[in-house]
Amino acid sequence: MTALDAPRVRGTGPLRSGTVLIGRSLRHSLRDGEGLVMAVALPVMMLLLFTYVFGGAILDDGYIDFVVPGVILTCAGFGASSVAVAVNRDLHLGAMRRFRTLPIRSWTVLVGHVAASVLRNLLATAIVIAVALALGFRPTAGPGRWALVVILVALWILAITALFAGIGMIAGSPEAASGYGFVLLFLPYLSSAFVPTETMPSWLRPVAEHQPMGPLVDALRALLIGGADVQLLPPILWSLGITAAAGVLVTQVLRRSQDR
Amino acid sequence: MTAAAHALADTRILTGRSLKHILRSPDTIITTAITPIALLLLFVFVLGGAIDTGSGGSYIAYMLPGILLITIASGIAYTAYRLFMDKQGGVFERLRSMPIARSSVLWAHVLTSVVANLASVAVVLAVALLLGFRSGAGIGAWLAVAGILALFTLALTWVAVIAGLTAGSVEGASAFSYPLIFLPFISSAFVPTQSMPGPVAWFAEHQPVTAIVDTIRALLSRQSVGGDIWVALAWMVGVLVLAWIGAAAVQRRAAR
Repeated sequence: MTALDAPRVRGTGPLRSGTVLIGRSLRHSLRDGEGLVMAVALPVMMLLLFTYVFGGAILDDGYIDFVVPGVILTCAGFGASSVAVAVNRDLHLGAMRRFRTLPIRSWTVLVGHVAASVLRNLLATAIVIAVALALGFRPTAGPGRWALVVILVALWILAITALFAGIGMIAGSPEAASGYGFVLLFLPYLSSAFVPTETMPSWLRPVAEHQPMGPLVDALRALLIGGADVQLLPPILWSLGITAAAGVLVTQVLRRSQDR
Repeated sequence: MTAAAHALADTRILTGRSLKHILRSPDTIITTAITPIALLLLFVFVLGGAIDTGSGGSYIAYMLPGILLITIASGIAYTAYRLFMDKQGGVFERLRSMPIARSSVLWAHVLTSVVANLASVAVVLAVALLLGFRSGAGIGAWLAVAGILALFTLALTWVAVIAGLTAGSVEGASAFSYPLIFLPFISSAFVPTQSMPGPVAWFAEHQPVTAIVDTIRALLSRQSVGGDIWVALAWMVGVLVLAWIGAAAVQRRAAR
């Protein structure tokens, strides 16, 4: 008998166990002070670097308004990448095996990691936006548009965190998980996050415009600094698609590990 | 045999030992070159088209000097790491019990660092040529560039020696290189300092990397180096002398 078909014990339903495991992951995060600082410090450093060092040579005026959406998504990537290592560590240090002996669903362990990461990343993103506002970022968005920004960012954080959790499940070691994650962190650069795609070589432009972050950056920029033509469907579909694909990957890996 | 000749012979043998370590793991040269090559690709293909350097030339020619300095700054972290491992593994204690010149132990690591880093620079330069970098500079200018890069490596390596001898952990031994890797970003390496806001521009214009980058850029593009070369040399020689004195003091303290 596996944990999946174990008899229900009072108080150990998916909601209860999920809440406990989210708490566990959040406690781990709070104890990893260095990781928390880096999740905010790296995007802030990037914001300062691009605004004050490169910005003047890229756009004559208002570069900070152009770059903030990209930095927000870069922040999400930095924060989510730690999930791959955390999941992999749980897998290789035997925590997953121990959880499997308890009357809880296997996937709630991953839900704990993912949900805690989403909360942590939303907080880090809020801090980065606050720093951007202090540096002169002036969005023109009203409450409705801000709500859409929060939804888009939350969906993207969920998608990329789920993807990193999947990477953590299949990687051979925490170092490998970290390495695979590093590759994904390059995605924002190959988009319109930091420079307009028109300035890129013709062979690179289609990649930049059609990869998941391209439509998302454009949508966030249009919502935050004004733009009549806001394309919401492509970024939402990308985020949901990545989340679904990561979910399938995680389910397959969990099923395979339980069959052993 | 004079003391100087003795020290030179010891240094030669110990440099051979350190170089064997490098040759047995050539991946360190590749690893050192990976980050600068990634930056090269990023700036040339993604950001370069949007950056206005005001020079009219190709962007790869503009930013290559900065990338070469980043390559060296990345590479010297390995020197600090190797020194730390020798210290931790008791190699220094064993060498101290032998009739060899004390200075030769450090000089061996330093010379190995210069060779390994110039090899990494050559790898990055080869990639730059593949990406379209072209220079009309003559042999004299290229030799001057090589000399500047060697002096820059030498100066930073002595800083790495201090870090390697005083570090308490592997991470600590290599962490000192992060600010050095970051320094070229706040210089004229990637964008002209005129495009930066006042205080940032002032810092960028008065820090060592800008003078070194501008000198190398002028040499490779067959332009007049002006006073930049003297500022660059003053910075490098100054850092080299201070770091060498500091490293000698740290080694003396460790020997007690």
